[in-house]
Amino acid sequence: MALSNEELKAAILKKAETAPKPQLYIKDFYACDPDSKPRVIKNAANDLVKEGKLMFWSSGSTTMYAMKDRIKNEEGESGVN
Amino acid sequence: MAKHETPLLDELEKGPWPSFVTDIKRQAEKSPQCWDILGQLELSFKERITHWKHGGIVGVFGYGGGIVGRYSDVPKRFPGVEHFHTIRLAQPASKYYSTKHLRDICGLWEKYGSGMTNMHGSTGDIIMLGCRTEALEPFFYELTHNFQQDLGGSGSNLRTPANCLGQSRCEWACYDTEEACHHLTMHYQDEIHRPAFPYKFKFKFSGCPNDCVAAIARSDVAVIGTWRDNIRIDQAAVKEYIAGNIPSNGGAHAGRDWGKFDIQKEVIDLCPTECMWMEGGELKIDDSECTRCMHCLNVMPRALRPGADQGATICCGAKAPILDGAQFATLIVPFMKVSADNEFEELIEFIEKVWDWWMEVGKNRERVGETMQRIGLPTFIKVMDLEPIPQHVKEPRSNPYVFWSEDEVEGGWSRDVDEFRARHAA
Ligand code: HEM
Ligand code: HEM
Ligand code: SF4
Ligand code: SF4
Repeated sequence: MALSNEELKAAILKKAETAPKPQLYIKDFYACDPDSKPRVIKNAANDLVKEGKLMFWSSGSTTMYAMKDRIKNEEGESGVN
Repeated sequence: MAKHETPLLDELEKGPWPSFVTDIKRQAEKSPQCWDILGQLELSFKERITHWKHGGIVGVFGYGGGIVGRYSDVPKRFPGVEHFHTIRLAQPASKYYSTKHLRDICGLWEKYGSGMTNMHGSTGDIIMLGCRTEALEPFFYELTHNFQQDLGGSGSNLRTPANCLGQSRCEWACYDTEEACHHLTMHYQDEIHRPAFPYKFKFKFSGCPNDCVAAIARSDVAVIGTWRDNIRIDQAAVKEYIAGNIPSNGGAHAGRDWGKFDIQKEVIDLCPTECMWMEGGELKIDDSECTRCMHCLNVMPRALRPGADQGATICCGAKAPILDGAQFATLIVPFMKVSADNEFEELIEFIEKVWDWWMEVGKNRERVGETMQRIGLPTFIKVMDLEPIPQHVKEPRSNPYVFWSEDEVEGGWSRDVDEFRARHAA
């Protein structure tokens, strides 16, 4: 049985809080509920951004998710486009 | 008056061609922060290392794309480029603008940013180069409220779809590329503005195999116009070309005398599949061999037109060389009807099947073309619910290998081989 949207959001937040690195790929959240389709998980993660609980972190070429208070500042780092 | 000495960059102004150094100097008279671009670039030339840092949490509220963060790693020496973010603006289908709109956009950019633009970037978008973080929200507000324009895609989003100008001006267009591009752009607003995928994803629309937006080289799903029936031939016009009464290639090569038009040499002998010949004064084509290369149509547009049963070929998996080498898209669906009448239903169904598979099995930062290559075309074809056809195989006549799956083999993998060998020695 797939998790409800609220359960899924809670699982995603927990993962974002406890993962070793603050920035996570969308795929890192798939494990939060193996029964939900990737696009459902993507929508739940984007809902959390709208609610201000997660934020996007972008390298230019890839966009990752992060908890606001786990990212020190808005300085960039090296990567590819 | 230049703020930094830039002897290395100044070399780039000496040739007969236009120079970005001259352009930036001119813009710097209006937007002084541009002097620091030149200063920092000169330093990079000297030290042979970049002084840009990328990434971060720049963006406008609710959007996870359209803005690419850039910071200087030597901001004390070059304060004008301490923040120098890029903003991508979604271009309208076929890039039709009024000059007033372009002036307005440029004016807005001089107000909030450096005034430097890249018109257009290879992505298709208008690229606005260089602004500070605090300018992003007010710029975005005016852009959307006063000029009804939106940000384009970046990051792991669907990138701004692009199309050739198609039926708006071109007689070769086999479907309405503008309508397709606009419809899918509106349909997938969420995927364009918020990250959705393991990596970037692009689709591009060309009306015919001339592929003016280079969809086959640049997009994860390339939709390229084609026809299923025969090239339409106007034999009277063919005779006019042969007689030299109509200039070949629409007169494109008229700047020099190439001699009398020779249909044998310039068309028939150049057909890559050797499927054309003259017979009794008429041009003949064996259409079953034609690969829609467009050469003959391009040379004699008034005599030859695409067939009337039109649609598009769908190819998947092109990409530029980031991890592995560059690769072209691979043919997946030879012919699909592409029509606004059913709101591009077939195409949308195809795209979402690709997404569902790629989101599941694609690795982080892996383009769908790389996933296809890693897992193999036979699996991809199966996932897409398609039957394999010879056109999926690079050289079907010299590469006849077929991989059977267990349910296609009588007795499966577990049949009694000893019993079989008893009747039939190895
Ligand atoms: C009625 C009898 C046979 C028929 C209809 C037949 C038909 C064929 C056909 C259609 C091919 C493929 C040709 C191509 O790919 O261009 C082929 C290949 C071949 N045949 Fe036969 N064949 C027959 C008997 C035999 C026998 C008796 C032998 C050997 C003792 C033989 C050995 C081969 C070999 C070595 C190949 C090439 C296989 C390869 O390229 O891997 N064939 N045959
Ligand atoms: C010292 C002896 C032999 C050597 C060095 C030799 C070598 C080769 C080589 C290098 C290939 C190409 C393999 C490939 O491109 O995948 C080949 C293919 C082949 N050989 Fe031989 N071969 C020998 C003897 C034989 C004999 C005695 C037969 C038949 C009775 C034979 C039948 C074939 C066939 C049918 C192929 C085509 C197989 C395929 O395309 O899958 N060979 N051989
Ligand atoms: S791709 Fe074909 S239809 Fe589109 S503009 Fe080019 S020639 Fe015309
Ligand atoms: S389009 Fe190309 S392949 Fe087809 S008939 Fe013309 S030249 Fe030959």
